[in-house]
Amino acid sequence: MSDERQDSKHAPNVTRRRFLTALVTVSGAAVAGTIAVPMVKSLDPTAAAAALATTTIDLNPIEPGMQMVALWQEKPVIVVNRTPEMLATLDESEQKGILKDPNCNVPQQPPYCKNKYRSRVPEWYVGIKICNHLCCIPHYRPKKASVAPWWLGGFHCPCHGSMYDLSARVIKGSPAPHNMAVPEYDIDVAKKTVVVTKMYPLAHLC
Amino acid sequence: MKRYVVWAGMALGLLAGSASGAFADNGPQLLTPHYTYNAKTIISGARLFATNCMACHSIKFMRYEFLTHDLGMSKSDVHKYVMLPTGSTFKDNMISAMPTGMAHKWFGLPPPDLSQMVRYKSQDWIYTYLLSFYRDPKRPSGWNNHVFPNVAMPDVLAPYGGIVNEHGKLLRAGDESPQKFKEQVTDIVAFLRFVSDPSVVQRHDKGPWVLGLLAFFTIVAYFLKKEYWKEVK
Amino acid sequence: MSFKEWFVKRSPLPEMWREHMAEYYAPKNFNIFYYAGSLLLLMVVLQFLSGFLVLAHYIPTAEGAYDSVYGIMYDVHYGWLMQYMHVDGVSLIFVLLYVHMARGMLYGSYRSPRELVWIIGYTTYLAFMAEAFFGYVLPYSNLSYWAGTVITSLLKSIPFIGGWVTTLVRGGPGMSGDTLGRFMALHVTLVFLVIVGLIVFHILYLHKVGSNNPDGIEIKANKGPDGHPVDGIPFHPYYSVKDLFGFGVWLIIFGAIIFYAPTFHHIFLERTMSTPANPLKSLPDVTPPWYLSPFYAMLRSIPNKNAGIILMVFAVLIPFVLPWLDRNPVKSTRYRPITRIMLLIFFINFFVLAYLGEQPPLPKYFFMERLGAFIYVAFFILLPFVSKFEPTRTPPARVRFHAH
Repeated sequence: MSDERQDSKHAPNVTRRRFLTALVTVSGAAVAGTIAVPMVKSLDPTAAAAALATTTIDLNPIEPGMQMVALWQEKPVIVVNRTPEMLATLDESEQKGILKDPNCNVPQQPPYCKNKYRSRVPEWYVGIKICNHLCCIPHYRPKKASVAPWWLGGFHCPCHGSMYDLSARVIKGSPAPHNMAVPEYDIDVAKKTVVVTKMYPLAHLC
Repeated sequence: MKRYVVWAGMALGLLAGSASGAFADNGPQLLTPHYTYNAKTIISGARLFATNCMACHSIKFMRYEFLTHDLGMSKSDVHKYVMLPTGSTFKDNMISAMPTGMAHKWFGLPPPDLSQMVRYKSQDWIYTYLLSFYRDPKRPSGWNNHVFPNVAMPDVLAPYGGIVNEHGKLLRAGDESPQKFKEQVTDIVAFLRFVSDPSVVQRHDKGPWVLGLLAFFTIVAYFLKKEYWKEVK
Repeated sequence: MSFKEWFVKRSPLPEMWREHMAEYYAPKNFNIFYYAGSLLLLMVVLQFLSGFLVLAHYIPTAEGAYDSVYGIMYDVHYGWLMQYMHVDGVSLIFVLLYVHMARGMLYGSYRSPRELVWIIGYTTYLAFMAEAFFGYVLPYSNLSYWAGTVITSLLKSIPFIGGWVTTLVRGGPGMSGDTLGRFMALHVTLVFLVIVGLIVFHILYLHKVGSNNPDGIEIKANKGPDGHPVDGIPFHPYYSVKDLFGFGVWLIIFGAIIFYAPTFHHIFLERTMSTPANPLKSLPDVTPPWYLSPFYAMLRSIPNKNAGIILMVFAVLIPFVLPWLDRNPVKSTRYRPITRIMLLIFFINFFVLAYLGEQPPLPKYFFMERLGAFIYVAFFILLPFVSKFEPTRTPPARVRFHAH
């Protein structure tokens, strides 16, 4: 065999080499991706966490005018059984013009709760009891004049004094910017249960 | 160890009569269930399991929802045929209806969790065990088992399979033909095999694609290697 | 000044790349056994990734460990993949370690000037054993519990301080949640970091003296006009593309096991791993995983506790002095037929011991176990004499290589 033929047999074929390198790179990246995707997915919430994602609250023990707090996804969810008198204070605070967002234009609640009651059923308020200001947990103060002489009943935050009415709408003069958040939920008045299903994605807590 | 001793004794006794050598020195010969391992057998096993076993046995690592994801059972079928009226939800673990305190009182021991039982004991063992019950008046429960002597569990499948005595003599026929009964037991075994590793569905779904991609990578890498190595003299 | 220049001026990486990849000259006649080294690196990386992700869901308590490990299987998305990767990966690492070491023994890779490469490598193997042991105690299955009890009780036979050491390792009189805490810490930090460090040193020490090859001759003895060995080729691109191909083949094997035989007939994932720890119920027979069972078979082949432990420790440690037991000037057993036959018997005997170690402790195996232990020890005792006097063939001056 001549040297020339020998050389051509051993000489690199640049085009072929580039093409193969590209193929190896692309398929290698695909292999890496096939391993990486399930790895990242394994850090998603587990089925065990998903099983705890909804909370069912029994409304039977909550008498008119009373409230109850349940833990849902590491957050306090308050359920208030509002009496007709309490519901009347909602109109009163609107008339006085003390609310920052009386018509709930900021989507702090699912669309089906965009009303003055901020709930599916007027008597039952279901909301996340976290102040919109800096994440403290407001106190429930239903008695009139219990916080200030003009107080109609509502929520008062112990940290920086944010005030909300009985629909958790924020009152002017509070540091909190928005009404308190309302999660998505289903209520069955006949069976007296509330099932909190998930966080309303547009609402922000604090 | 105790198992070995008991079985060595029994085997010696039987040897005198039959000299067949059907029993090995470490227990009875296990039977092998024959079946196709697919969603149909597993689902049918799940229904039998829910009606006959889940009153006492949990499969605590399983969740009802896995039956829909992995086996393609409809949610309403799971509600209708598998879920117990224990108030558990669709995403919950499959826990038996029996309170642990009661279990202690009734059986001395809580019935074991069966999630990993096929992995632990093998499907042949479970199959043979379920077919090896016999009437034993000396036991408090009235039952005994060739594979698991002095077991606390009664033969819950007796209404289907019938009752035999220690030597295999039929005392009362079951509602099902022996053929059909074996099929039912096989289905339960198939279900427990699935329960011990539900990933089998995903593994067999995804396996060919992943291996195909790897094969493609390997082939191009081989040609690239050849292209470079032709320079090496 | 371009960014490249700016970076090169400040970074040691380009120099390291040249030294260890682009201008590291390796013999061109590597055969299939030489894939094991790079595959081990790949497996350690995969083991780290899958381990990281199973650790993220693990709870190191006596009550929570078993359920959390099975929670990974059932509840975590692709948890089964992470779990099987991590479990089957261990066995595959040991397959590769044994191939890698057997290759070194076949071709005399432990011989001068590579004694330190062998010693560091063998230490890495021992560290992998420790890593594997701590790992399989973590799920707190009944196998974990009894394996942990048995292995930690071996420490009791250390003279004078044995009792204290055993309590220290267990964190109490027996296995408990406290044991899991310290075993997890050892498994994910100390022993793992030791392994990584040893691998780095193994490679650095190898690159200092250069790789051996199947013919066992020094390629550095025959340099071309450019100053590079005439039988050497740069690691990159030749061996890097070759190893990519090796990765592909290996991942197909690994994938096939994970997808179609994750327990590998209960050799890679034992049945007794599927039942929770029970201090009141010992296993019918405690056998170690297959990769440790040869030493276990030797341990129980002697009907005296301390003598058995001494034999096992001896069997584990004797390979350290292998570079000095072999006294023949020829390295590769390609040219030493008698040593080659001895080695093949040694390898087969190791497999037989592995099989025996998995069997129940019945008297019918005792003779075989003793014979196996005898052959294992005899190999190391005979080697200095056989290697001194055995007839050899002359190795070639240049490596044997057929161009493609």
